[in-house]
Amino acid sequence: MMSANRWMATGNYFTTYRQEQRIFATHTDRLIFALFLVVLFSWPYFIELSTKHMLVVDNILIAVIAVYGLNLVTGFAGQISVGHAAFMGVGAYTVAAVAGVIGDQHVLITHAWPLMILLSGFTGAAMGLIVGLPALRLRHLYLLMATLSFQLIFQWVIGSMELFNQGQFMYVGRVHWFSGEVGRSQHYMFWYYALLVTVVVSGLGVRNILRTRYGRSLVAVRDNDRAADAMGMHPGLTKVFAFGLAGFFAGIAGALQAYLNRGAGFETFTLHESIQYLAMTIVGGLGQVTGCLFGPAAIRILDLQVESLAQWAGGILPSSLDLATGLRPLSFGLVIVLFLIFEPRGIANWWRIIRSYVKLWPFRY
Amino acid sequence: MTYFFQLVVSGIVVGSIYALAAIGFVLIYKSSRVLNLAHGQLIAAGAYITYTLTVYCHIPIYLSFVLSMILMFFLAMSVERIFLRRLIGEPIISVIMVTIGLMSIIDGVIYLTPYGSENLSFPSFLPSQPIVFQGIYISYTQVAGVVITFLLIGVFSWFFRKSTVGISMRAVSDDQMASMSIGISVPRVFGLAWATAGLTAAAAGGILGNIVGLNFDTLHAFGIIVFPVVILGGLDSLPGAVAAGIIMGLIQQFASGYLDGNWGLSGTASLLPYIVLLVILLFKPHGLFGTHEIERV
Amino acid sequence: MKTKKISIWLVVAAAALMLAAPGSAMAGEVYKTALSLAITGPTSDAGNPYSKGVEDYFRYVNDMNLLGDDTVDCTIRDDKYETAITKRNFEEFLDMGIVFYLNYSTGSTLALKRDFEEVEMPTLPASYHAGNIEGSDYIFLPIASYSAQNIGLAEYVVDHHEGGTPKVAMYVHPSAFGREPVKDVEKAIEAGLDIEIVETVEHGQDLDVTGMLQRWRSKGVQYVISQTVQSPVATMLKGANILGLVAQSFGEKGKITFLGAHYTGGNDLVALAGDAAENFYWTTSFITTSESSAGADAQLDLAERYGRDEKTANSHNYAAGILVAEITTEVIKRAKAKGKEITRENLYKELLDMNGMNAFYSQTAVGPVTYSKDDQQGVDTLQLYVVQDGEFRAEGKPFISEYPEKIK
Repeated sequence: MMSANRWMATGNYFTTYRQEQRIFATHTDRLIFALFLVVLFSWPYFIELSTKHMLVVDNILIAVIAVYGLNLVTGFAGQISVGHAAFMGVGAYTVAAVAGVIGDQHVLITHAWPLMILLSGFTGAAMGLIVGLPALRLRHLYLLMATLSFQLIFQWVIGSMELFNQGQFMYVGRVHWFSGEVGRSQHYMFWYYALLVTVVVSGLGVRNILRTRYGRSLVAVRDNDRAADAMGMHPGLTKVFAFGLAGFFAGIAGALQAYLNRGAGFETFTLHESIQYLAMTIVGGLGQVTGCLFGPAAIRILDLQVESLAQWAGGILPSSLDLATGLRPLSFGLVIVLFLIFEPRGIANWWRIIRSYVKLWPFRY
Repeated sequence: MTYFFQLVVSGIVVGSIYALAAIGFVLIYKSSRVLNLAHGQLIAAGAYITYTLTVYCHIPIYLSFVLSMILMFFLAMSVERIFLRRLIGEPIISVIMVTIGLMSIIDGVIYLTPYGSENLSFPSFLPSQPIVFQGIYISYTQVAGVVITFLLIGVFSWFFRKSTVGISMRAVSDDQMASMSIGISVPRVFGLAWATAGLTAAAAGGILGNIVGLNFDTLHAFGIIVFPVVILGGLDSLPGAVAAGIIMGLIQQFASGYLDGNWGLSGTASLLPYIVLLVILLFKPHGLFGTHEIERV
Repeated sequence: MKTKKISIWLVVAAAALMLAAPGSAMAGEVYKTALSLAITGPTSDAGNPYSKGVEDYFRYVNDMNLLGDDTVDCTIRDDKYETAITKRNFEEFLDMGIVFYLNYSTGSTLALKRDFEEVEMPTLPASYHAGNIEGSDYIFLPIASYSAQNIGLAEYVVDHHEGGTPKVAMYVHPSAFGREPVKDVEKAIEAGLDIEIVETVEHGQDLDVTGMLQRWRSKGVQYVISQTVQSPVATMLKGANILGLVAQSFGEKGKITFLGAHYTGGNDLVALAGDAAENFYWTTSFITTSESSAGADAQLDLAERYGRDEKTANSHNYAAGILVAEITTEVIKRAKAKGKEITRENLYKELLDMNGMNAFYSQTAVGPVTYSKDDQQGVDTLQLYVVQDGEFRAEGKPFISEYPEKIK
């Protein structure tokens, strides 16, 4: 039996695994989620954000989609990937290369953009499967190296092939919507909604994958691959599968980024970026789907805050002291390390604590 | 033929710096199974410390070289003490990610010094005339680099074979549980491993700085090329690191010597290490000399 | 309820005060410009002094009242060499209402090209990549493009080489930044420039290039033209020095003369390569402080006035920063003199008019800045320098390369 009241649940009353696997445990959860969605979709009508901040929001959402993928591979399957930006690059360059060949104003690019984005997801996934292949034989330390070399080979290939304009920026045209071409003034707002839909759909998708046999085997392999093996799962294939999924989400995120930035250049897909995504995953919470939302937001906002702090400090300190220069990497690194030491479960854990507190309210532990 | 031997000599020079850098990496992995991604940053820190001591404190370079090794010894030890000691017992993946955070932290600290965005070079302290042997050229700085590298490698192999501390480090790398039960302090060994890694990083940084000058981007790039080297040699093998370093140096020199400029190829030397890395991962993941663990997945 | 209302009013009043305060304090107009560049991350060694040059010159303009009561407000933002951040900065600058924009890297200039077109923003990048101005009306290179610089070096080689066709190797950055000038040099050869490119090498992060140099020697290479950044050039020069390959005078027989374009040289090269930098030939459109001139004095004075260290004061990147700030100030000044409103459009027109008798003579460049509808390169004049005793000495007179016109 479920708890008698489908609105309030003060604890776990699951009697079957099926119940435990539900995406929303109570009606209240469902309601809160619905309200949250309403807020996300409607706030632009009430608050006007500057273009800069709109772009920041868009970038956060892109990172959320990318981090879904990275969290699957790192958080759920327990494999560190330092090549996630390169997988995004595969997606972005799928769109850009097609645009380069058929022209960036071609109908396929401007009108069939959802298809292009999906296609990029599949090329990303294909790349992910290939790079994940060593997982059939290797464990995480070595896989890290495989992703590292993928990252560097990707950069070399983009930088030297004519098809990719030798790493120089490749343009992607503005897209069309039912109301005609999406112009400069609506650009960031339009992509906000496109991204939001993608984030919600892929978020639910990830939750659903995790409920399936494949999703659960990811976690089983992470926790103990020999035990998982003994229970009839194939640890190697499971990891390859995780890399494929990660590549898929990265590819989609990359394609969206190409559309948002109106093109692709290799500077957006470097090792440095890969590490940023890894940091977002850690700070958000490894192995937590909600963490995928918190992590990117936290890191991007931190970056903005440090930027203004550095600017302010640069204004009052003597110019010979380059505080501003060091502050960004320093704070970025400290955040990763402090989270790993003091809150390895990430911001998602704070969210969990708040929830369990609210659940029992007005009683306390 | 002279050309061939020149490439061999250059390859060995470059390779021995790789080897020195790789040793520090292997030391940490061997004792604590941690893949230290911040090793490149340790090397950079070592290079800048040596520079500071030489140029700002006017200490003779021989002395500042040794001093910076000692400084880095304690610096790396405190890095372990502050950041990594707390994570003993945590999943290895978190520890590796801490080293990723460390990368950024050390970068930030270096940027806070006046060096972060500067180009510098060491004052030359050896004769600038090259040694010429049968048409093969090599500079005194390079010779010094190779000599120091092999000296250090010699010291380390003695240390691990004969000294009690060295043996206890090897014991810990073999079996943490068993070594604890015979009274070895595992955390101390970890600290020591980091400290010695810091020491080699200082040496590598000092030599590198003398040979190519100090530029943060270059030092960064150098930190990354160490990964293919250690994988080639086997993550936990010191002789492997040395051999792989030299092999990688030779591969790069031969690539730029024989491949570049032919068949429209160019810049192969910077790509080949990663291709080697992938090939090794696919066919011989434990490297040339690494321990074959029986944990196939 | 009442207290709440009062506090709301207080907030409103405070906000109004804050908004009003700057307006009442200053009499003249404030013209907003902005610069986004890499103060940290890759290429920050160049970006750092560049930003200081821009900052100091605008401060000077405001302190000296060069625009009368009006002032220039130049927002400088670090983008860590990341195009995504440059884009964010640029959107913010647009919200601020800037009238003139200074950009930095090749990557971000190309990435934002279409944005510049759409919002009709006159832009001066710090990248002299010829591709920047292709298909763009609003991007203006402050000085001659890398292609023009490399062709200029090749022409200099032709003019000063004795005996036959000079054999040249090109040593370039493994990216479009390095490759594009090679293509243009090849075009110039087709158009009649009498050199032979024996080999084009894209460098990696090699620590030792002795092999490459030996090969060049055996192929009879006499000149090396490099189009990259300082660090790899320093490695090459050190290697050449060990081999005793460096020509002691231009075109010395049996030796190799090393030359390089804008970003290969400057004091950073001497700092990296030390003694090995001796006799390296470098071309740029900027003056150096090691040769005394009115411009050098002006540059050093400016640095001293705002407390910059010696390294910054003598950096050619500092000079480059000053140049773009000077151009910005000049177009504002000219538009003002004509009684025009200071808008993007009017400043753009002023840039297009900057030619002939209207050419602008900067303190830190070796020739006039000229722009027109079909000339988006500012200072076409180049000056060759050679390193002697650790300092860059002018070699010959300033010159303008001819072939870029012929291969257009």
